[in-house]
Amino acid sequence: MTVASSTAAAAALPRPGPWGIGRYDVAGQPVFFEVGWDDWQRDVAWARAMLADHGVGPGRGLIVVSGMPESPWFDPFETAARELGAPYSIGEIYAFEAFRTGMYARRLPITMIFGLDRTVAEGLGDELAEVIARVPVIVARPDAVGLLAGAGARPFVVARVGPALAVECPHRSGAHLNGAEWAMAERGGELFISTAGPRAHQVREAALGLRGTLTDGPCGCGRGGQRVTISEGA
Amino acid sequence: MPDERFFEPDVETMPRARIAALQEERILELVPYVYERSALVRKKWEEARVKPSDINSLADFTERVPFITKDDIRQFRDEAQDPFGGLLCADYADATTVFSTSGTTGDATLYAHAWDRWHPFWAATARDLWEIGVRPGDYVLGSGFKMRGPLYHADQMVGAIPVLVNTGIGGWATALDAIRRYRPVYGQLTGLALAELDHLSRTTDMREVFSSFKGAAFAGEPLGARARAQLKSWGVEVYLWTSTGDVTGAWECGQHDGCHAWEDCVLLEAVDPAGSAQVADGELGELVATSLDNPVTPMVRFRSDDIIRMTRQPCACGRTHARFWPVGRKGDETIVAGRSFVPMDIWRALEGVPETATALFQLIRPAREIDELKVRVGYDPDTTTSVPELRDRVSEAITAAVGVPPVLELLPEPELLARGRGGKLPRVVKA
Repeated sequence: MTVASSTAAAAALPRPGPWGIGRYDVAGQPVFFEVGWDDWQRDVAWARAMLADHGVGPGRGLIVVSGMPESPWFDPFETAARELGAPYSIGEIYAFEAFRTGMYARRLPITMIFGLDRTVAEGLGDELAEVIARVPVIVARPDAVGLLAGAGARPFVVARVGPALAVECPHRSGAHLNGAEWAMAERGGELFISTAGPRAHQVREAALGLRGTLTDGPCGCGRGGQRVTISEGA
Repeated sequence: MPDERFFEPDVETMPRARIAALQEERILELVPYVYERSALVRKKWEEARVKPSDINSLADFTERVPFITKDDIRQFRDEAQDPFGGLLCADYADATTVFSTSGTTGDATLYAHAWDRWHPFWAATARDLWEIGVRPGDYVLGSGFKMRGPLYHADQMVGAIPVLVNTGIGGWATALDAIRRYRPVYGQLTGLALAELDHLSRTTDMREVFSSFKGAAFAGEPLGARARAQLKSWGVEVYLWTSTGDVTGAWECGQHDGCHAWEDCVLLEAVDPAGSAQVADGELGELVATSLDNPVTPMVRFRSDDIIRMTRQPCACGRTHARFWPVGRKGDETIVAGRSFVPMDIWRALEGVPETATALFQLIRPAREIDELKVRVGYDPDTTTSVPELRDRVSEAITAAVGVPPVLELLPEPELLARGRGGKLPRVVKA
């Protein structure tokens, strides 16, 4: 079979570089960053635990709303869904692609939308109310939370914070940061990020250009560590 | 095992007789499998009075098994309230991913795969990237969209490192920055990307930017002569690729003599667009595809509406799988005031007018036969000094190409680009 033979051929090759390269902006300046294969595997493990907390499991369909350039952040969640046995679909983050998120939500037994942003939420137009009514769990970007709440949803939050992704658990006490990999600081409402783990990308107190608050200590989900609440954009 | 020349030498250069034997073996496994599981296949076959026991060879399959069209899938979906249009051969819960066609030419349809490591749609694409010259440790520019799954899986399969930056509309200034930093050997281009690069080329030395590229892939729509010449002037070797009936991709090799269909993955046929007979190699036919490696939503004699010329002659590159040349979409031919033309005729006309040379246009066609030729055309606002004067020249160019004066709607390119989807601008629209 094609997949089997191509996979076998791929397995014979070395992978001398990282998993991929991503890019985020700090104060309008681009920062390119490597995600190593080991980094990616640890990110997948963390994503798997976060999704499982939200009930993602075998046969429970989800839509991941993300663009190709966001793959360093969102691919671990896609891979985690696969590992959890949850069929997933991709809704792109562009306005002209909003119909795809709506189509999947309308046609498939979707139990979660992960990553819904304002562009897609607005692009859904009149269909947004139907999507909210159909899908039990929506994990939304900070820029979409107000819009979704106004439409009757009670979304959880997922936020890109520099090279990291912060995800709210079902206890709604701020978006968890993977403390084994990243650490954040807040000064005067400004957020900064540092690498905490053995990652290919090492940063120290990098200003994120984001405002928000941090919470530390135990969460009802059993995790400790930092949680972030973004007060504008992400 | 990959060698210097081929990613899967044994598969890619397999003798034709072995390809035929392999396909027959897979088809004979597929026939009872889909008949038992695919509600649409069973319906179509019962209507045609075909049973699995009637199919005992590849010849039986191509002679007796009924076609399935996209309209069949949509109709079944709507009537049976089945999101997969009767194609699903497993439980939804058994699928790993459910993706969809672009929806550019109509209502998107769903397809699903079950997979473990690499997304199946892109598995054979590793062979095509290897052909371009992508090797372990090379950087490559990540492509713009994920609606068919993560194309970067093919990059990673060959050991390359995807640089995942925005190559969608409005993203190319930053993508050029990434190219300068990482010197990738390959990237994906679309028609909308070329329109943006055309503007950036006025302030950027594109030859220098793309000097690290061994090749760039282009898909989604035809590549116009002007764009082809422009890419050549930038030193970019373009590899065209296209979908093989929504089963997998088919890419050009270094010979640029047709797109290679991977026949261990898809049974490719070219049939009379107005009938059901197979056409001879080299003649115009409609691409018909059968999935040989997707047990979740296999296409079975799917009529794609794509018009191709096909050959089974071995390629000068050494590969033996069939090649085809996309010619257009079935139904693209339009008749206005008794004159027949295809969208490429308008494309070429617009390429000849400097302000519309990116050939961004939409033919507004509520029906195949129309009384009035309405065309929406994008123009470059930076170089256009007088829209009325431009209108006269565009009208003249289209009239010369088609033989009928058009009714023009001129829009600045950014406004028209905003109507694009998935890297493509629908060229034929109803309004």
